[in-house]
Amino acid sequence: MPRFKMFGGSDDEPQRPEEAGPPEPGAPPHWGGPSAGAESPSERAESPSERWQPPAGEPSPPDEPAPIEDERQSGDEPEPEPERADESEPAAETQPTSRVSVIDEPASRPPPPKGASEEEYKWHTYKHYPSGRPDAIEFIDTYKAFGRNQILRGLNMSLPEGMVSMILGPSGTGKSVCIKHMVGLLYPDDGDVLVHGNSVPNMPDDDLFDMRKKFGLLFQDGALFGSMNVFDNVAFPLRQHTEKGEEEIGEIVNRRLSEVGLGSDGDKMPNELSGGMRKRAGFARALVLEPDIVLFDEPDSGLDPVRTALLGELILEIHRDMMDEAKAKQKEHLPTFSVITHDIMSARRVADYINVLWKGRIVEAGPAEDMLNSDNPFIRQFLSGESQGPLTMD
Amino acid sequence: MEDLIAVPRGWIEAFGEIVKFCSKIVGEVFRLRAFRFFGETLRQAGILVVGSTLIIWGFVFIVGATCGLEGGYFNNQNGVPAYSGVFAAWCDLRELAPYAFGYMMAAKVGTGLVAELGSMRISDEIDALEVMGISGVTFLGATRLLAAWMVLPFMYLVSIGASFFASYLVSVQQLGYVSSGGFFVIFWEFQNPPDVLFSVIKAMAMATMIVLVGIYYGYHASGGPVGVGTATAKSMVLNLVGVHLIGMLGTQIFWGANPRAPIGG
Repeated sequence: MPRFKMFGGSDDEPQRPEEAGPPEPGAPPHWGGPSAGAESPSERAESPSERWQPPAGEPSPPDEPAPIEDERQSGDEPEPEPERADESEPAAETQPTSRVSVIDEPASRPPPPKGASEEEYKWHTYKHYPSGRPDAIEFIDTYKAFGRNQILRGLNMSLPEGMVSMILGPSGTGKSVCIKHMVGLLYPDDGDVLVHGNSVPNMPDDDLFDMRKKFGLLFQDGALFGSMNVFDNVAFPLRQHTEKGEEEIGEIVNRRLSEVGLGSDGDKMPNELSGGMRKRAGFARALVLEPDIVLFDEPDSGLDPVRTALLGELILEIHRDMMDEAKAKQKEHLPTFSVITHDIMSARRVADYINVLWKGRIVEAGPAEDMLNSDNPFIRQFLSGESQGPLTMD
Repeated sequence: MEDLIAVPRGWIEAFGEIVKFCSKIVGEVFRLRAFRFFGETLRQAGILVVGSTLIIWGFVFIVGATCGLEGGYFNNQNGVPAYSGVFAAWCDLRELAPYAFGYMMAAKVGTGLVAELGSMRISDEIDALEVMGISGVTFLGATRLLAAWMVLPFMYLVSIGASFFASYLVSVQQLGYVSSGGFFVIFWEFQNPPDVLFSVIKAMAMATMIVLVGIYYGYHASGGPVGVGTATAKSMVLNLVGVHLIGMLGTQIFWGANPRAPIGG
């Protein structure tokens, strides 16, 4: 039985994230740029971060929501998801004012990337609905190419703290490349990637390795070390990065393995595990250092629907536990999970916040409910998995 | 013209990349960072000892026996069978023992490194390691190089012994053209302790190059299992060329000016 119901469900179902603070009343989506204000004001001023008004003569634009100022003035916009707020939580904990900003000043729509036409990007509204959270990770005008293949083409994306964020998008659009940029396995050709406000591309190697300790990353196939059994795989980060004794390590590892349902499989080698078991073991290893940020690279690939659903539940359950623990320990940063997937059902079940990526840029981003109710034909097509719409085999 | 230049330019670029990467690994050892993972270093040393020692000794033994045969027949034909020991002293120590050691290192250890690290690369294990905040260059590269430096000198010294023993067996016991005492008089006459040191240096230069090339090609493998196979083949080619280059240069440097041959005064 899933612990949570997806957003938009009936009010008598438990809502999540229980901890999430609401967006500011009447807060509009903002456009293009990262939502939090971790970067300097000058950087922020340059980011393409405002609402786009379609220029005259443009091809038929997506079903554009009503202009924000109209919404705000009319006063009849829906209340901003009060059920997602935990009013008992101190506001300061959910909205550190130093890193949250909502920008609603009008600005011009960012031009298409070099070599691309406006027509190719006509479905990109660049809207960023506010999450009400500071950003754990931000991409700022990030470009990345492999040879002549342009992958990221001026990407502005943010992953809010304390939420389970999804990065959705068609195949080959740069989702896995994004993850590698977050952890510094790839560097952008241009632009910046910030993790908790620190620029990843500008970090010296030693700082980068320290920063990576904030991360847990679940690779598509688990990426378990083939020369170690499951127990040693999960214990590996603890042995390398902590001074814990073997007894304590054993307790932690067994607890993590039990959480993912592999309590009795610690002595098995990776090649003795099924694909789903390898993913779960990789999940246990990603969590063992209690990282601030956990990234999942297509955790549902190769899994049957039931196990996909179970893995989704597991992600939610562990995120909730880590949130509780982070609050209890008053950690500086709330745990942030980010999931890359093609699976729309997973997105509906798991996501708090959704970034839709296409052609190296964000089409739209925002809390799951906003995105699932988006009027953008591309978003609607993608989130409903229909064959008819802007996205074709081309 | 552009195409003609492109090929050698590609080679030079690739060579530069290899040198840069290998310098980084060597730097990690000399900055003592590999000692942070001393457990892994010992594990790799153990793998090297258990997995490669016997096969290397066996191969060098066979090559030493060949030297003994050639030396025995050649010197007997020339009427100086007592000089069979020259072949053991020179052929074994200066040339064939280092070459045989290099060949087997390239075939067994070098290709093994490419295959192991290449598999880790394509299955994202190296990325996983890096994401855990552990430098792949240090953990996978520097530890293996340090392990090789810890183990291989001793392994090679025993290899030299194996080749000498094989030459002795063939020259003295099998062919019988020379007595045991006669063999050893000439054998010791034609070598001295620095020769052993030079031979070890030569072999260790080969081994270091082989380990570094193996790590480079494995670490940078791409293109799935086929890519790993291609990288393994490339590393083998480069290692064989490198072994002979080092062998030639070593002979020139260590024995070119003074061959230390007590012949004709």
